[in-house]
Amino acid sequence: MKAFEYATALSPASARDLVADRGAYLAGGNDLLGRLKEYIESPEILVNIKSLPGLDQIERGQNFWTIGSLVTVARIEQDAEIRSAFPGLHDAAAEIASPQIRNVATVGGNLAQHSRCWYYRQRDVQCLKKNGDLCYARNSDNRYHSLFSGNDCISPVVSSLATAFAALDATAVVLRNGEEQRWSMAQLYADAWKMRLAHNSLQPGDLVLRVEIPANRPRSVYLQVSDKHTFDWALVSCAAAADYVDGKLVRPRVALGSISPVPHQVEAANDFLEGKALDDPTVATAADMILAGAHPLDHNAYKVPMAHVLIRRALLKLKG
Amino acid sequence: MPAWPTNNKYISQSTIRVDAVAKVTGRARYSSDIQAEGWLYGMILRSQWPAADISSVDLEPARKIPGIKAAVTVKEGSFTVRYYGEEIAAVAGTTKQACLDALRAIVVKASPHDQFVVKEEDARQPDSAPVWQGSPNASKPRVRETGNVDSAFPECAAVIEGFYSTPIQIHNPMETHGSTVSWNDEGVTSWASTQGISSVRDGLAGALSLDQSQVRVITDFMGGGFGAKFGAGVEGVLAARLSREAKAPVRLMLTRFDQALAVGNRPSSFQKIRIGALADGTLHAFEMENYGTAGIGAGGDSGGGGGGANIPAPYLYKVPNARVNQWSVAVNAGSSRAFRAPGNPPASFGMESAMDDLALKLGMDPLELRLKNDSNKIRQHEYRLGAKKIGWKEKYRPPGSSSGVVKTGIGCAAAAWPAGGGTRSTQGEAQISPDGSIEFRIGVQDIGTGTKTVIAVVAAELLGLKPSQITVRVGDTNYPAGPGSGGSTTCASVSPTVYDICSNALSQLQTLSGIPDARGDNWFAACKKLGVSPLTVHGQWQPGLSADHAGGVQFAEVAVDTETGLVTVLKVVGVHDCGLIIDRLTLESQINGGIIMGMGYALYEERVMDDLSGVMLNPNFETYKVPGISDVPEIEVVLVNMPERGVIGIGEPSTVPTAGAIANAVANAIGVRVTSLPITPAKVLAALGKVPPAMKS
Repeated sequence: MKAFEYATALSPASARDLVADRGAYLAGGNDLLGRLKEYIESPEILVNIKSLPGLDQIERGQNFWTIGSLVTVARIEQDAEIRSAFPGLHDAAAEIASPQIRNVATVGGNLAQHSRCWYYRQRDVQCLKKNGDLCYARNSDNRYHSLFSGNDCISPVVSSLATAFAALDATAVVLRNGEEQRWSMAQLYADAWKMRLAHNSLQPGDLVLRVEIPANRPRSVYLQVSDKHTFDWALVSCAAAADYVDGKLVRPRVALGSISPVPHQVEAANDFLEGKALDDPTVATAADMILAGAHPLDHNAYKVPMAHVLIRRALLKLKG
Repeated sequence: MPAWPTNNKYISQSTIRVDAVAKVTGRARYSSDIQAEGWLYGMILRSQWPAADISSVDLEPARKIPGIKAAVTVKEGSFTVRYYGEEIAAVAGTTKQACLDALRAIVVKASPHDQFVVKEEDARQPDSAPVWQGSPNASKPRVRETGNVDSAFPECAAVIEGFYSTPIQIHNPMETHGSTVSWNDEGVTSWASTQGISSVRDGLAGALSLDQSQVRVITDFMGGGFGAKFGAGVEGVLAARLSREAKAPVRLMLTRFDQALAVGNRPSSFQKIRIGALADGTLHAFEMENYGTAGIGAGGDSGGGGGGANIPAPYLYKVPNARVNQWSVAVNAGSSRAFRAPGNPPASFGMESAMDDLALKLGMDPLELRLKNDSNKIRQHEYRLGAKKIGWKEKYRPPGSSSGVVKTGIGCAAAAWPAGGGTRSTQGEAQISPDGSIEFRIGVQDIGTGTKTVIAVVAAELLGLKPSQITVRVGDTNYPAGPGSGGSTTCASVSPTVYDICSNALSQLQTLSGIPDARGDNWFAACKKLGVSPLTVHGQWQPGLSADHAGGVQFAEVAVDTETGLVTVLKVVGVHDCGLIIDRLTLESQINGGIIMGMGYALYEERVMDDLSGVMLNPNFETYKVPGISDVPEIEVVLVNMPERGVIGIGEPSTVPTAGAIANAVANAIGVRVTSLPITPAKVLAALGKVPPAMKS
């Protein structure tokens, strides 16, 4: 990696000032250090944000819970109250990487991580996302890539937490230019849908402070399929969340990861599921709606049936 | 004739590795841990192009980087690179970062070729871009025929045809390739992670124009080798040249990235097989066309066997009428080297898959078809043992007939390994001190298989001592020469050698001490009579105590989720023979490792080359997937002890049949066959007909 300055920030404002437009925030560093070592990026300064006060808290509220961006993935996985309130979030955290990585990985870092596309991460390939002029994946080996995209780049979002948060309709609170902005998961990744260079909607200097999760979906599920049983990226992931009252879905939401640059959500399908009982035909119809318009390529068409079954299984699992 | 004792206290029993504590506490210093006085980091600049003409390499900017003490090019003048990752230059410096900066500072003037070829199917085409100018990428087929295949097929009651393929597999030992080399006026010392200290010494001496006696190679502990770690290697020679220029020791250990590109792999195979049997199941006709790639060419440093793409066929079965047509294709990618049972895992996968397909066509139980056609008595016994352990009779059902979404199935396959015998030139010595302590010195290396423990166990048994009373020193070319660790030969080389040393020690002690039997309780009294000077006894490999040809069979039970395509291996039973068992623990460990590696081959591992850019897409453990502990099933190792055969090595056969057994179990579970390894969820869903066609953009 290239030499860089290093500073520890004690307040969000000073972090912002230090990072300016030439640096990067450092928390767990799992993703960032990989980018640095492969010379994908070379920020001039790394600003350690691990000492920012208050961002490592999990707060249980009446209407919503707040999870600070410095809370580790391991804590999400191990917190008994989270497990009982948001089992889907627990399961998403438990699927991430390895115990060693989960111990240092943070919620903010997981949400802000960059593409894992193997062309993007290849040190000697200048792909579209690195300002090259060709999406190699689109034209060559796209086995791990998206079924949906709003631009020429087909690298998918791989944040497991984003998938789970999207189904829970969680909000990311982002500090931008000294102001707190509240973004849905759709908004957090909207730029990646539109723009090939974007991994999410965060601009230089933007800092994820916390995530707020509404407490009105007591049932939630997260499922993923990987080539291996653990310590492997999802080929497809699916989260579903809802309340289930008198045998009917209330506020149901479904989101998928690894098939689109954004957590893949179809509001029409969520609307369709509202008030429905969970049975095979209903979940199959929902899956059809969610995957309508998928654009399978030469090597990733298997993701269509895989996503379809995960949607069906996740929804049926909401029954408990 | 010498003979192994019976009723043993240590031989064929379980002894914990003599270096177990050192290894688990971190006290053991592996080659990559060596910190020679004043050592420097060494790193290699590699080709970023799949094919390019290099007109010049300017090292001066690298030398100006603070901390850089040496920089060398691999070749002089202009030259051609033929694959992504080929070595171009190397630097040595005081920090890793200095070396990284220096590699980026080197100016390489290159004209990348417009055309290159990285995929086997492309390289088959006559108009594919030649890897070697002036010669076609596809080699001339080698055809071999016995009997009359054309007239035999019509005589068969059942004939099947299949196309079975296996990917390039990367060795990926825990410790990467590399060494620390110190080259000063007295000569060269190399602390190498190697399977062959002698071959590294000879290779370095040759490459550096030194006398072999001026080169010493030391390997105290090394973190695994599977056939690719024999010679000095480009990286070893570069480390030496850097050391000479820097006048300091240079540690040049490859990174995972380097390791994936340039130091060997298992060739791929694309096997078109037609096989037929008579109505009673007797194999009658066989035909195979196979090709694969060994990269730009079968690689150097192949020590333990060929790195070529040919495979044995029809593997361990005898078919009276057989025609085999094999060739290889060159591609712009790193060369193959010998890899744990070269040729055998792909051969086993193809043939054992075809056997199951044929059994289905014949309406026979696949185990019966094997018993009918495998004349080897040991394997017949092993099949019957293994079938009982896995519950074949109760569990075998017609393919695809288990109910539910998650379907279970079982399968089996066999291994035949022709090597495993001893290296006749093996020598060793022991120094016996008057206080009764004894130190064995053999110029062999323990590559993690437990060679030191084997020496201690054999010596303890023969001398009537405990293994903990035996000091074992290996891994130094200053000791009497031992074998390279390839072909599963190490155990059968050192055990008879230790036998000879012990026999000589006992007879000399008898003469010197006057005590008729110096073993056991008499040992210390006999040694005391040596007076003040230790006794050094030599020995060498003796015939009659070892053999070759080890075999084995494996059974696998799997569960396949037919909606997600995920394969879970539930259980593997490995029944293996290797003559006289020396130490059960290290033997079981070898077989466990072989099965886990075979499982990676079956389900996860694959080198992925990109035909647009010519680079390898997965030179890391993120997307080159190896089994993790949660993927590993229950493994039951069943050992067939055959003392009458003498000692035979086991390292290789244990990894041969796993992929075939798992593939057959998957086919048995879901009722269709995934014909190419690795068996990924994507391929399972495709085999089940669940994957929609791609949309054209």
